[in-house]
Amino acid sequence: MSDALQFLISGLVVGSIYGLIGVGFTCIYNVTGIVNFAQGDFAMVGAMSAIALNVAGAPLWLAILLAIVITCAVAVLIERIAIQPVRGDVMRGIIVTIGVGVVLQGIAAIIWGTDAQPMPAFSGEKLIHLLGATVMPQSLWVIGIGIVAMGGLDLLFRRTYLGQMFRACAMNPFAARLVGMKVETMSLVGFVMSGALGAIAGIVIAPIALTQYDTGLQLGIKGFVACIVGGFGGPIGAAVGGLVLGVLEAFSAGYVSSGYKNAIAFALLLGFLLFRPGGLLGDYDRVRA
Amino acid sequence: MTWWRIPALIIALLACAATGNGYLVSLLVVIGLQALPAIGLALIAGFTGQISLGHAAFYGLGAYGAALIGKWLGIPAWLDILLSTAVVALLAWAIGWLVFRLKGHYLAMATLAFGIIVQICFVEMHGVTGGPDGLTGIPPLRLFGFTLGNDFAMLPVVWLATIAAILGAQNLVASPTGLAMRAISENEATARSLGNDVQSTKRLIMMVSGLFCALGGGLYAHYIGYLSPGPFDVGFSIKLLLMVAIGGFADVWGVLIGVIFITLIGELLKPLGAYDIVAYGALLVVSVIYCPDGLPRGIATLASRARRTGAAGSMR
Repeated sequence: MSDALQFLISGLVVGSIYGLIGVGFTCIYNVTGIVNFAQGDFAMVGAMSAIALNVAGAPLWLAILLAIVITCAVAVLIERIAIQPVRGDVMRGIIVTIGVGVVLQGIAAIIWGTDAQPMPAFSGEKLIHLLGATVMPQSLWVIGIGIVAMGGLDLLFRRTYLGQMFRACAMNPFAARLVGMKVETMSLVGFVMSGALGAIAGIVIAPIALTQYDTGLQLGIKGFVACIVGGFGGPIGAAVGGLVLGVLEAFSAGYVSSGYKNAIAFALLLGFLLFRPGGLLGDYDRVRA
Repeated sequence: MTWWRIPALIIALLACAATGNGYLVSLLVVIGLQALPAIGLALIAGFTGQISLGHAAFYGLGAYGAALIGKWLGIPAWLDILLSTAVVALLAWAIGWLVFRLKGHYLAMATLAFGIIVQICFVEMHGVTGGPDGLTGIPPLRLFGFTLGNDFAMLPVVWLATIAAILGAQNLVASPTGLAMRAISENEATARSLGNDVQSTKRLIMMVSGLFCALGGGLYAHYIGYLSPGPFDVGFSIKLLLMVAIGGFADVWGVLIGVIFITLIGELLKPLGAYDIVAYGALLVVSVIYCPDGLPRGIATLASRARRTGAAGSMR
């Protein structure tokens, strides 16, 4: 029983991260029609910058803030240089974002080396005991920030003017342009949000899982799986998908084998893509060939 | 007219072999081995417009399949390559049945997931594949009583297969099926409205594509003599896509140039260490954005534009 609780908690922690990465995908996909294969690398860039700034002497909170800003700047740069020219072309979009991811990984390897880097926990390492399971304080940070970010984003999309413009551009860019919205600006906003979410995900998980130059790819793919499982609609779908995936992974790692953990995640992806492409929530008609 | 290309290619290969330079010949063997899966990917991703991020898996399955079939059945190497190729081609057809229910990004992710699952199986199925340690002692190819143990002996066999693949791909593309493929790539709804069975065409091309990959993989296994999961990861799938992109997607000879280009660039960048991957990614981005028809044609367009502006300048 305490085993199961332990797996559940670690699954929820990892799942929150997948959800955060996943919602970053939807921010970009909804406005540009491009799935950003470099999404996971935003998390890596955020975590690595935060670690480097912290090591250089900045207090943790300042390092984190600066790292988020840096990642947003990187995202804007990518949008202007690489995404604008291939807008709307699926195959080229995929290849270009893969290329961008490779470049980011390479630059990270040059700047920070290929070793895994640790990051100090936000509030100490003292373990919390709960019904026979042990919880790191950082785990609570991860889950808390996940909830706040997802809830905040959901409110932003549904209640604010910016969110409504954003959704309008996603639903029908042509009509949005007709009523005077700048779709290009919204695309930029999407990249900034996506960069910030990616950086936050990478930074909050960094004290638990070590970060190195190539952690992004796996994270990115898992985030995408979260979107597929939950539905590509918005933050709540990604959050649900992330949690389902995280918990399933934790249990399969615990009870089956940690080596096959990833294979199970991808089998889940294939299963959902093939049999329920709309995800757990909502239907999505643009998926089918 | 393109009839001269095959003879020119053969003469170039013979000239390279005649130099007796072992490094050059081993490079040519590697190029031939990678050209097979790259042309296979070009058929499905370039000509038919269906992206795949999992083609390294077919290459790996072909390689492991050939090595394992040879080990279990004790049959000669050429036969195990053929058997493995046949099995993987059937598997590719079956995979097509599953994944072509999807398109675009979803297809990309599904094929990526397939590739990753296959690679995880290579790593985790210790009893069969030897796990991360790999399979050792794969015998070299033997044909007509000759053991093809070195690069010079492998060169003709590998390139015979590659040239056969080039000819096969060209004929396929020029056939009515080829027209259907390009129609699907341009506009699927229109292709279907004209009476093409879109899905079965996609599956057929996926099968041919898997066949080319597996053939390359089987030859690779018996050439290298040792298999580990490393070379068949997502990175190789991306590299294949890069070769196809550089070659101009729907262009068999362009893809061959892409393979040569990427292999040579890889060799040139080796001394750069960590910088090579940056150059690699940047190349991918730049070529896709600025040379959407591939590097060879992109350069040709630039050259003709330069000539035209030059001529205009001299007239003034």
